[in-house]
Amino acid sequence: MYALIDIFEQVRDFMEKGGPVLVVIFVAILVLWAMVLERLIYFKTGHNRQVNEVMGTWEGRDERTSWYAHKIREAMISQITMDLRGSLGHIKTLVAVIPLMGLLGTVWGMIEVFDVLAVLGSADVKAMSAGISKATIPTMAGMVGALSGVFASSYIEGRVNKEAELVEDHLTMDH
Amino acid sequence: MRKFLNVVIAIALSGFAFSANAQEAANLDELLEIVRQGKVNESAEFRQREQEFRNNQAQQQQLLADANASQRAEERRSDQLEAQFAANDDQLAALETEFTNELGALKEVLGVLTMVAGDARSQMEQSLTTTQFEGRDEFITSLIEKTSSGTQLPSIEEIERLWFEVQREMTEQGRVVTFDRSVKMTDGSEETLPVTRIGVFNIATAGKYLKFEQGLVAELDRQPEARFVESTAALQGASSGVAPFGVDPSRGSILALLIQAPSLRERVDFGGTIGYLILGVGAIGILLWIERVIYLTAISGKVKAQIKSDVVNENNPLGRILAVHEANKGADVETLELKIDEAILKEMPPLERFLTMIKLISAIAPLMGLLGTVTGMINTFQSMTLFGTGDPKLMAGGISQALVTTVLGIVVALPTLFLHSIVNGMSQRVVHTLEEQSAGIIAVHAEQNKGA
Repeated sequence: MYALIDIFEQVRDFMEKGGPVLVVIFVAILVLWAMVLERLIYFKTGHNRQVNEVMGTWEGRDERTSWYAHKIREAMISQITMDLRGSLGHIKTLVAVIPLMGLLGTVWGMIEVFDVLAVLGSADVKAMSAGISKATIPTMAGMVGALSGVFASSYIEGRVNKEAELVEDHLTMDH
Repeated sequence: MRKFLNVVIAIALSGFAFSANAQEAANLDELLEIVRQGKVNESAEFRQREQEFRNNQAQQQQLLADANASQRAEERRSDQLEAQFAANDDQLAALETEFTNELGALKEVLGVLTMVAGDARSQMEQSLTTTQFEGRDEFITSLIEKTSSGTQLPSIEEIERLWFEVQREMTEQGRVVTFDRSVKMTDGSEETLPVTRIGVFNIATAGKYLKFEQGLVAELDRQPEARFVESTAALQGASSGVAPFGVDPSRGSILALLIQAPSLRERVDFGGTIGYLILGVGAIGILLWIERVIYLTAISGKVKAQIKSDVVNENNPLGRILAVHEANKGADVETLELKIDEAILKEMPPLERFLTMIKLISAIAPLMGLLGTVTGMINTFQSMTLFGTGDPKLMAGGISQALVTTVLGIVVALPTLFLHSIVNGMSQRVVHTLEEQSAGIIAVHAEQNKGA
């Protein structure tokens, strides 16, 4: 119990050192990972169900050679690919945006450093350290969040392409 | 001009005087001639005064003799007084020696007493316990005056009270006490509030940190984070046990620094015109985004409904494409495909409207921030040319202004970037449906009709 409180206090102190920008970065990383998880779960469940459904419809057709049949197949593949991509666009945007948030934190912290300079008029390192930690902690957090997100997003993108191709291969045409 | 006037008036006056007392001068040249020859005669008045003085000469002699006599008398008196002064001085020295002998060790005691009282006074002036015990400052000041005067002796009671005050200061430093006291609020009014003193570190009332300056207890103009402010109420409400409280161990100087930090509004004002321009551009971006969200939500809802229904409804892009098929039922497959492609192309522009604009805003905002930074730096360098680099305060102000625009640029760019990704996703979904699935949907419809 005390260990939990200790961890909570450490995290809280860390967040306070990083300033308000760190809170925003924290929320953004949470959202990013929630979306990544949602995608991973979808690949296992919703996607399989949809593929089975589509396969059933396709195999159940009497003919698979006409112009109409080809167009229907294209539409099916497109729908599946679209559902596979899902929030991938948002994930990519977040990965691009999170380091920018870190940059925002850096500039914010630098403003505080210069505020201290303006008030004290001297380069007192101790007084400036609060601003410096506000400048560096969000940058670090942004980097960490973005790096982890880059791996996740590129994995998801590869997976989407692979699954889409698989579906395309499964929906065979009789020439 | 004025000088000239003065000269003229002087000449006129002198002319008048001469005309009264001496020979008449017809004009200025003649007057000059008279003066040169020294022919101006002394007036009768002068002669009369001279005569009077000569008559009184005897009386003047008498006065001089009297004055000399009184001077000699005063000199004698002065000698007498000087002798008396010297005698008194000797007596004074003798008495002082006697006084020192009589005092003996007491003199050192008084010295120590003065020193202790002085230390205690300077301690208590700064100490927060003064908010609770008033009047002790006056007591200690009068005690110091007494001990250092050399003519008065402090009483035993007074010495014991000093002991008591020092002891009480020590005891109170370790205490958390609540008492009523008048507090100056930020709006200038005075209120009597229950005030909690935490040792000599902080004073607070429920929900507010207070400061003690120049004998006044006042509300801090700016309060720290809510978590700490809430702890003041918790402490005042507590009757026993342990209550958490945010203590400023620097005895209030960290809290006092809070006032120096500018508020969010003041910071935005630092950004100047460019800062407001950036915010304006951001507002336009968000307005465009809201328009897009409403439009695309409506359209994609209608498209979804169209996919499910068999009846062609021309209030949505997909419906209009299906209508092309309805109109060209007899045409062969290739003509139909061309017609459908044309219809799809026609539907694209309204779906993608403003998207590039929003993207552009997210790209422009940081650039505008950069512009503000550069103008801020120009100001900084201007102040450097004027005042030199000696004072970092002057430069730091300009630099923190320069950075504010960068912050505003990023603050506008971040949400616009993300919002763009949301509407872009919505728009792409509809576009994909039209481009890749409309033909398929037409095919489904055609087959159903054939089958029916």
